[in-house]
Amino acid sequence: MKLKQILLASAVVLASTAGAFAADKFAVIMGNIPSANQFWAKVEQGALEKGKEMGIEVTVLGSPGGESDVAGQIALVEDQLTKGITGLALAPADPAALNPTVEKALKQGVKVVYIDRPGGVAGITYVGTDNEPAAALGGKYICDHIEKGSDVAILQGVMAIVNGSARAKGSRDALTACGMNIVAEQTAEWDNAKGQMVTENIITANPNLKALFASNDNMGMGAIEALKGAKMLDKVMVVGFDGNPEAAAAILKGEMAISIAQRPVHMGAIGVESLAKLIKGETLPPVVDTGAEIVDKSNAESYK
Amino acid sequence: MTDAVSRNPTTGWRDLRGRLLEDYGILLVVLAMILLLWALQPDYFMTAQNITNIIRQIGMNALLALGMYLVIVTAGIDLSVGSVMALAIMLLAIADTSGVPWPLVLLIGPLVGALIGIINGLGLTLLKLPHPFIMTLGTLNAVRGLCNLVTDGRPVSGISDEVRYLGTGDIPLPFGGEFAVIPVSAILLLVCYCGVAWFMRKVSLGRHIFAVGGNPQAARVSGINVNGVLVFVYAASGFFAGLAALLMAGRTGSGYPNLGIGAELDAIAAVIIGGASFFGGRGTVLGVFAGVLVMGLLRNGLNLMNISAFWQQTLIGIIIILAVWIDVLRRRARARR
Repeated sequence: MKLKQILLASAVVLASTAGAFAADKFAVIMGNIPSANQFWAKVEQGALEKGKEMGIEVTVLGSPGGESDVAGQIALVEDQLTKGITGLALAPADPAALNPTVEKALKQGVKVVYIDRPGGVAGITYVGTDNEPAAALGGKYICDHIEKGSDVAILQGVMAIVNGSARAKGSRDALTACGMNIVAEQTAEWDNAKGQMVTENIITANPNLKALFASNDNMGMGAIEALKGAKMLDKVMVVGFDGNPEAAAAILKGEMAISIAQRPVHMGAIGVESLAKLIKGETLPPVVDTGAEIVDKSNAESYK
Repeated sequence: MTDAVSRNPTTGWRDLRGRLLEDYGILLVVLAMILLLWALQPDYFMTAQNITNIIRQIGMNALLALGMYLVIVTAGIDLSVGSVMALAIMLLAIADTSGVPWPLVLLIGPLVGALIGIINGLGLTLLKLPHPFIMTLGTLNAVRGLCNLVTDGRPVSGISDEVRYLGTGDIPLPFGGEFAVIPVSAILLLVCYCGVAWFMRKVSLGRHIFAVGGNPQAARVSGINVNGVLVFVYAASGFFAGLAALLMAGRTGSGYPNLGIGAELDAIAAVIIGGASFFGGRGTVLGVFAGVLVMGLLRNGLNLMNISAFWQQTLIGIIIILAVWIDVLRRRARARR
């Protein structure tokens, strides 16, 4: 009798642990390879650590062709579906073009969340920074520190991606609200070298520029190089976005004023955690905001 | 040569073997890759799901490479195909979502592609630009710009199911379960490849393409309309890029302006791996398909093994160099014989 009870009890314990996550395999498909941008390296780190902590097999991959490689990203997802994943956290390379692939995953019973940027399939939770208010933080900082009516510029990201347009809108609205004179809004496609080039052209046309909001740190670093080259860095405030290590170093050196930090490690970790919740049958809100904070001289050391 | 075959059975066999290696050697490479990947990934590689995935994944490059092949046989190059594909997908997405009947929408991609191809060809023959690299480098940029201007860089989603059928449709097989299907895109590829292979062998224009690539001077002297042939191959390359756009419209359900950035290089790589000569006059359709498969299998296999994207790039680079080097060795050995 007693033996039977023990057997039964241990069977229940076994069943509950095995039923939880033992068979789960998650894939985190990012917008780029981790070495292309510190941001993705941190998303990867957060996802892998959380996977280890929860005992889930997590595979992290990025599109071979970089941020705009839609076909490559579709292939990555398809190949992971072949491998029988049960959860997919995806940073879609295009808001609409990945929809059929995501629908295919859902049809196979795979749980899906979007990370870093929302995609186009309705009902899928977005885990990431709410970009518009986050960018507005940067705009507001410029408003608080620069004289009203000054010339300011915005470096936009890829506008086709929701994050690009949301950050452009958040910063523009904040700067317009406090009466700044926006002289240029141009895209540098998230790229360091393009950020430098576009900034060079902006300051040539607008020598009285007082502040510049870059929609990511890569472009911000490029802008700093351009301003250094024109010996204008002491006159122009640069605000970045992402809180990358190189931006943190620039903030400590006084070259960049602040950066708006997303929390990519959280993004990776919460992405994995959210998938586990979905598999357990819990429901998620439409947006899980992973938060944003201002990186300035006081806390930049911890972002290096 | 035929005399030698009839007179000496040993050289005849050697000659045959050499020819087999030359024409089908690359297929051995494909076969070896399939066996290797199967051995490395026994649980996933030979599944119906993975095989249909591979077929869908190679579709775009297969069509671009087929067009690029025609151009490369004339010793030319078409750098504009990625941009052409992007413009075609944007225009067909806009047309489809604004209510143009779907049979007309299907024509938009190939027509837009052929039109830009004709412009490429005319730049080469009418403006007499010194090398196709220059004309198509120009259209690579100009067309990509246009494609962004059309929608201000925004994607267009909501393409209808009829238009998407070529890229995403499946014909279910009566056996083998849920994933045992023939993708409609596979049939499209088959038709295109067989069509071009037939055309190059049996139609005089096809043979003229080889003649122009082998020796344009001699071709001109023998009465071939060289300029006409050139305009035709660039138009064909654009046509296949437009068809690839239709495939991708099906696969993604939307038109997006970033489609095909760098795709021209993949297409060129596939043609070269497949044994076509960069100096024109030589190359087979079967070789092109093998080249496309080598790249597709490599990407699929490395994805399945979760190997870094850097290795994909590195390995494809090494394969390009090796493929051409083996070709050089083979030709040198034959010349000595």
